[in-house]
Amino acid sequence: MLAFAVAVVLFAYANVGFGLNGKLPAGLAEYGLAFAAIVLVAHFAVRKLAPWADPLLLPLAALLNGLGIVMIYRLQESGRNGNPGTQITTISSSTTAAQVMYSALGVAAFVAVLFFIREVRVLQRYTYTLGAIGLILLAIPAVLPDRFSEIPGTGAKIQIAIGGFTIQPEQFAELALAVFFAGYLVAKRDVLALAGRRFLGIDLPRARDLGPVLIAWGVSLLLLVFESDIGTSALFFGMFVAMMYIATQRTSWLLIGILLFISGAYLASKLFSHVGARFTEWLHPFTSANVFCNPTPAAHCVSSYQLVQGLYGMGVGGILGTGLGHGQPYFTPLVQSDFIMTAFGEELGLTGLMAMLLIFGLLVQRGLRAAVAARDPFSKLLAGGLAFAIALQVFIIVGGVTRLIPLTGITTPFLSQGGSSLLTTWALVALLMRVSDTARRPAPQPIQDEGMTQVVRAG
Amino acid sequence: MNRALFRLSLACLVMFVLLLVNINYVQGFEASSLAGKPGNARTFDQQFQYQRGSIVADGTGGPLTIADSQPVKGDSTSGNAIYQRHYPHGAMYAPITGYDTIYGATGIESAYNKYLAGTSPSLAVHNLISLLTGKAKQGASVNLTVSPKAQKAAYQSLLDDGGHQAAVVALNPSTGAILAMASYPSYDPNLLTTFDGAKLNKIDKQLLAEPSQPLLNRAINQTYPPGSSFKIITSSAGFSTGKVAGPQATIAAPQPLTLPNGNSLNNDADEDCFGGHPQVIQAFLLSCNTAFANIGMKVGGPGLQSQANKFGWNDSNLTIPMQVSPSVIPRIADKSLTAISSIGQLDDQVTPLQEALDAAAIANHGKVMRPYLLQSVQAPDLTTLAATTPSVLTQAVSSQVASEVGSMMVQVTQNPQGTAYQTAGPPAVGSLVIAGKTGTAENTVSGAGLDDAVFTCYAPANNPQIAVGVIVKGGGFGADAAAPIAVKIIEAYLGVH
Repeated sequence: MLAFAVAVVLFAYANVGFGLNGKLPAGLAEYGLAFAAIVLVAHFAVRKLAPWADPLLLPLAALLNGLGIVMIYRLQESGRNGNPGTQITTISSSTTAAQVMYSALGVAAFVAVLFFIREVRVLQRYTYTLGAIGLILLAIPAVLPDRFSEIPGTGAKIQIAIGGFTIQPEQFAELALAVFFAGYLVAKRDVLALAGRRFLGIDLPRARDLGPVLIAWGVSLLLLVFESDIGTSALFFGMFVAMMYIATQRTSWLLIGILLFISGAYLASKLFSHVGARFTEWLHPFTSANVFCNPTPAAHCVSSYQLVQGLYGMGVGGILGTGLGHGQPYFTPLVQSDFIMTAFGEELGLTGLMAMLLIFGLLVQRGLRAAVAARDPFSKLLAGGLAFAIALQVFIIVGGVTRLIPLTGITTPFLSQGGSSLLTTWALVALLMRVSDTARRPAPQPIQDEGMTQVVRAG
Repeated sequence: MNRALFRLSLACLVMFVLLLVNINYVQGFEASSLAGKPGNARTFDQQFQYQRGSIVADGTGGPLTIADSQPVKGDSTSGNAIYQRHYPHGAMYAPITGYDTIYGATGIESAYNKYLAGTSPSLAVHNLISLLTGKAKQGASVNLTVSPKAQKAAYQSLLDDGGHQAAVVALNPSTGAILAMASYPSYDPNLLTTFDGAKLNKIDKQLLAEPSQPLLNRAINQTYPPGSSFKIITSSAGFSTGKVAGPQATIAAPQPLTLPNGNSLNNDADEDCFGGHPQVIQAFLLSCNTAFANIGMKVGGPGLQSQANKFGWNDSNLTIPMQVSPSVIPRIADKSLTAISSIGQLDDQVTPLQEALDAAAIANHGKVMRPYLLQSVQAPDLTTLAATTPSVLTQAVSSQVASEVGSMMVQVTQNPQGTAYQTAGPPAVGSLVIAGKTGTAENTVSGAGLDDAVFTCYAPANNPQIAVGVIVKGGGFGADAAAPIAVKIIEAYLGVH
């Protein structure tokens, strides 16, 4: 299975070279070997550290990571080294090498998680510590000056830039907060599930139990306001509500969560122009004024240029796609990060995009399966929440770039360029595999020779 | 907890299904409409990356390539473009070809873009084959009915006319195939093929600001008062309704004619028209206004309009494939106004194309053939993808009436007293018999200066092969300014002289 994933990636890589200039790409040996080596390390780590884990998770993750590297290589080569296309200025000639290195770091994180966390339940001890770490990680960019924390040109304050190196702490906060939510909810779930009154057929929780929900809601709103990061805020809140639901099985929490989210989003769209703009952009992307908007302090227009160029790319791709290296994904600004799925849509077509979504779907399904199989509530909650978070993240970003829902910037798991996201996702997969390994491990064999026993016969 | 997990997995399933359905919609159904949406950089870029099909004038004297794509001479503005559009004959064919720029297209370039660009579904198989065989994608070539001989004569004679705004259409009366369509002043479409957006904007603005409106295709998109050429319609209405027995019937033609509202209507130059009691055919060759005002009043406004409609007037849906502005004759109840309308004045408005269609209907036994430019579309491998089959647009008059009106039109050029005897009769063309009608319209719109000159005709009279409509704005007498242009086109097309 893993060999197959590597073969697909190498084939795609060779294809890029043929597509661009009719030759095998220059770095085939280096990048290919590096990728195969990374995957091999992950494989042996799993054999050694989590032998009973779901065998499908690693190949799926490796395949997605590999395809991401291939697409980033293809985008990097556009207009460089005599290849056709326009050079993408936001990608440097060493981006692919960096991405391979990040993949290696990701797999290192993956191995480290498997090595240090032999039992997911141990994390439960650090519930509040990790919760605090998560919040601090989230808060750092908000309090930093703009020049350290803003992604140039986007207005989103979500990174820490030191020298030429940037990290996005919110990615790591996702994992820390997931552990915190799971630990907190396991401790409080009985109280949350049972206390309260019935009203209109719905079990309403007690007012003081609403506290944590409101705090999560408040944090995600603050994130949205101070860091202009709507996607991550929706992701965190969605993950929290889902875990709340798993813990309590009460529909009322789901309804309250959804209501809070909708009212929050509505309020934000009215109060903050950058949120309202996302709605305008979503509803009227093809209006010339929006497509050709050139925002200046004087002109308040909404630029849908990136969104429509992504859609146009997918339109050009059609059913079968242009083929790797034959498309023009460089017309979509910043295509290597949030919009990378439109590049796949353009070059691999509807067929390729559907296949990739199914790979994501499989990954989520295997994660949820691990949650179902897990025996202790903490593992169940954590695995369920993390698997749902992947699904939600894919939904938010792919739905956004294909105009199913308003576009909010968030990375595509495994595919988008950038180290923080890759590292987090690999660590996340490691946690899922650990849960799966624990769940599927056969019960310890009872000791056969127990010596003499005394049989007490009741008279 | 497992129950909640199962429900959550259902929610995940729903999210993925929504995504899958949506990308199917975007890439499957919306794909072709996305290509034409504003700001599509890919469509923009790709149209100059492969060889767009040629436009060929394939009528008599052809084939002659009038638009093609040539490898670009690379400069700083050309970007990814490999091919640039080129119009070898510039302004002469501009009203037909239109232009294809980085921002948009007009004329045939726009109307048959799907063939020229190779995006038509009928080219899908060809494109797939060239993709598989590694050949470059290429557009289909569009062959037009235009005769290079007729077109050259048409544009040259408008050019030689002395700077009047003018337009001419020539067509084959038995098929409707357009043989020539020229408009003056025109423009050189090569000016607009630049890849430099700023330069293109500047040139476009200049052309639009030009008072002589060079971008306007006067042949189909500008209307003029038809003047006496409308008497073809008035006579047809009189004969068809039976209100006038035939060309030999006598009609009152007083000088002046007092209209019911008390105003007087005069003949041209207050001419006496055969003592005020001419036969219709005599009134026609001298073009007596009062005789046809009387016929118009006999037929009545509504009858006049419905006869005009049968010739194709008031049709706002006609395309050739470019949209043709309708020639207008209003529905008039008032008798006095009907009298003025029946000699082609008042609010009557006509395009040069409609003038040609009027003559063509008479030439073709009363049938108006649908005018068209497209002869055939040829794929790069020379298979024919589309072709026009001539079709009848309307039946204007009966064959009997057509031959009666035709006989009167022959007298206009053959009778020494006829208005066009000198310029389109034996002194000018010898034995070739042209059947025509002159018009000299008072142009209240243009105000100052000379009248608009109109001439509509077909030739040879006994075996019509070409019908021509000419309008010269401010040209003066139809016989002097418009008829010679028509004669030159006919001679060039038939190859006499």
